[in-house]
Amino acid sequence: MSATVDDIEIREEAAQRRRAAIRRYAKHPGFVIGACGILVLLVVALLAPWLAPHSPTRTDLMNTLAPPSASHWLGTDQFGRDVLSRLIYGAQVSLQVGFFVVLISLSAGTILGAVAGYAGGWVERALVAAIDILLAFPSFLLALALVAARGNTLDSIIVAVAIAYTPRVAAVMRSVVLTIRPRPFIEASRAIGLSPWKIILRHIIPNALPPVIVVATVSAATAILAEAGLSFLGLGVQPPTPTWGNVIAEGQTSITTNPLISLSAGLCIAFTVIVLNLLGDGLRDTLDPQMRRNTGKLL
Amino acid sequence: MLLYVARCAAQLAVALVGIVTVAFFLMRAIPGDPAIYMLGDYATTESLATLRARLGLDLPVWQQYGMFLASAARGDLGASVVTGQSALAEIWSAVPPSAELAVAGMSIAIAFGVPLGVIAAVRQGTYVDVAVMALALGGISFPVFWLGLVAILVLSHDLGLFPALGATSEPGLWPAIHHLALPALVLGLSVAAYIARLTRSAMLEVLGQDHIRVARAMGVPERRIVWRLALRNASIPILAVIGVTFAWSLGNAILVEAVFSRPGLGSTILKAILARDYQLVQAGVLVLAAAVVLLNTLLDLVYGAIDPRLRKA
Repeated sequence: MSATVDDIEIREEAAQRRRAAIRRYAKHPGFVIGACGILVLLVVALLAPWLAPHSPTRTDLMNTLAPPSASHWLGTDQFGRDVLSRLIYGAQVSLQVGFFVVLISLSAGTILGAVAGYAGGWVERALVAAIDILLAFPSFLLALALVAARGNTLDSIIVAVAIAYTPRVAAVMRSVVLTIRPRPFIEASRAIGLSPWKIILRHIIPNALPPVIVVATVSAATAILAEAGLSFLGLGVQPPTPTWGNVIAEGQTSITTNPLISLSAGLCIAFTVIVLNLLGDGLRDTLDPQMRRNTGKLL
Repeated sequence: MLLYVARCAAQLAVALVGIVTVAFFLMRAIPGDPAIYMLGDYATTESLATLRARLGLDLPVWQQYGMFLASAARGDLGASVVTGQSALAEIWSAVPPSAELAVAGMSIAIAFGVPLGVIAAVRQGTYVDVAVMALALGGISFPVFWLGLVAILVLSHDLGLFPALGATSEPGLWPAIHHLALPALVLGLSVAAYIARLTRSAMLEVLGQDHIRVARAMGVPERRIVWRLALRNASIPILAVIGVTFAWSLGNAILVEAVFSRPGLGSTILKAILARDYQLVQAGVLVLAAAVVLLNTLLDLVYGAIDPRLRKA
C-alpha cells in the first residue's frame, strides 16, 4: 500500500515534534548534565570488572591504610583493600537499588494511586486512608524495620525500601489522576463502554506518567540515600561486598588519619544523587511546566 | 471552628488506630520465635510454652491483634523482650534527647530554609537563585551521616570548636547545648535544603498570582509584597512542607544520633533491632509515627486558623 500525501504529512509533523523535543532537552543544562552523569555511572557499574585496578575484596594485611599511590589511587582501607576498586564496585549496588526500587514502587504506586484516583467513593477513601497512615511512618524508619524483619540481603533491602516509598508514589499518582479524571476523553471512553480497568491502563496511566516519571527519578535518588544509610548502620548489604555506605562506615574508624576513604565514598553518593535530581528537575521543566504543582510537595 | 477541631480529633483517632495496626502486623512479619529468643536455645519445651501463653503468642493472630489494640488504648505496649521493663517506659525515657535534637534541628532548618527559599523565588533566574538552589541541591544530596562525619572531622577534630560526641553527662545547660550544637546543625542544614527548595516553588506560585500583580500595579512596596502579602499566602504550603519534612527529619535523626553517638529514640530502636527485641522496636516505631500524626493534626488546626475556607472543606 502506498502512502498518501496525508500520511507523509502526518509523519513529517511527528518527526518535527520529536526534533523540537530533543532540542528542548538538549538546551536544558541540568538535564544534559544529569543524563551524562547517569550514563557515566552506568558505564562504571557495568564495566567494573575491567575498570577496577584491583579486586574489591582482596585483603593485603602488609599494606593497610596506605596513602594514595600510583597503584592505589585512593589508598587502601584497614584490611589493605583498594578503596578505588571498592568504590567502582559499590556503584553496582547503589544503581541496582535505585533501579529496582523505582521499578517496584513505581508499578505498585502507580496502580494503587490510579485506582484510588479513578474509582472514587469508598475505594478511594480506604486507599487514601491507608496511604496517609503509611506516610506517617518516616520512610527510612519503615525501611529499617522491614530490613530487620526480612534480613539484609540485597533483595530484601530493595523490597524494604520499595515498600517504604510506594505510598509516596501512590499519593502523587492519585493527585495527578484527579486532574485527568474529569477530562472529556475519559468521559468519552466511559461513554463507548470501556471497562474501568481498560480506562485506567490505556488512558489514565499513560496520561499521568510524565509527573510520575519525575517522581521516579527523584525516588531513585532517595532510595540510594536510604540504602547508603542502612549500609552505614550495618543493616545493609554486608561486607566484604562493597557498598558506598559500608565503605563510609568502615572508613569512620580511621577518619582522622585516612579521611579520604569516607570522604570519597560520600562524594560518590552525592554525585549520584545530584545527577539524578538534576535529571528529575530537567524532566519536570521540559515535560510540563504545570506539573510542579502536582509533584512539588511530595518530592 | 469547633466542628473543625472535632473533625481533626476524629481523624487523629483513626490515624492512631491505623498506625497501631500497621506496626502490629509489621512486627509479626519478623521471622523467628520471640520466646526462644528470650529463654535461649536450651530452654525446655514446657518453659517455652508457658512463656508463649504469657505473651499471648499461642493465640490466633486476630485475637492477639485485638488484645494488642486494647492494651495500646490503655497505653500499654508490652514489655521489652530483653530487659522485661515496660516497652513504652523504655522508649519514653529516650524521647527527651530526641526531642531536643528534633526541635533544635527543625528550628535551624526553618530559620535557614524559609528565608533562603523566599529570596531564591524573588530573585528567580538570577545568580542568587542559582547559588541558593545549588547549595540546596548539595544539601539534599550529601548523605546526612556523611555530613556529620565531615563536621566532626573539620569543626571538632581540626578546629576544636565542638565536641565530637553529641551528648554529655556533665551537668548544666551550656555543656548540653555545646554537645547538641553539631548534631543539630548537621540535621538542621540537611532539612533546610529541602525546605528551601519547596518554599521557593510555593512562593513562585503565589508571586505569579493576580492579587500580587494588582498590588504591584497599585505601587505597594516590593518588600511588603514579598514578606507580607506573598509569604502569608504561601504559608499553608510552607507549613505543609514543614509537616512533610518532619517525618523525613526523624529518619535522618536516627543516622545523626548514630554518627554522634547520641542517645535517643534512633539509637534505642537500632539497639532493639540488633537484639531482635520486637516489642521495643514496635513501641519505638509507634511513638515516632504517633509524633508525625500529632504534628500533622496540629498543622491541620493551624491551617484552619489561618484560612477559614479550609474549615468547611
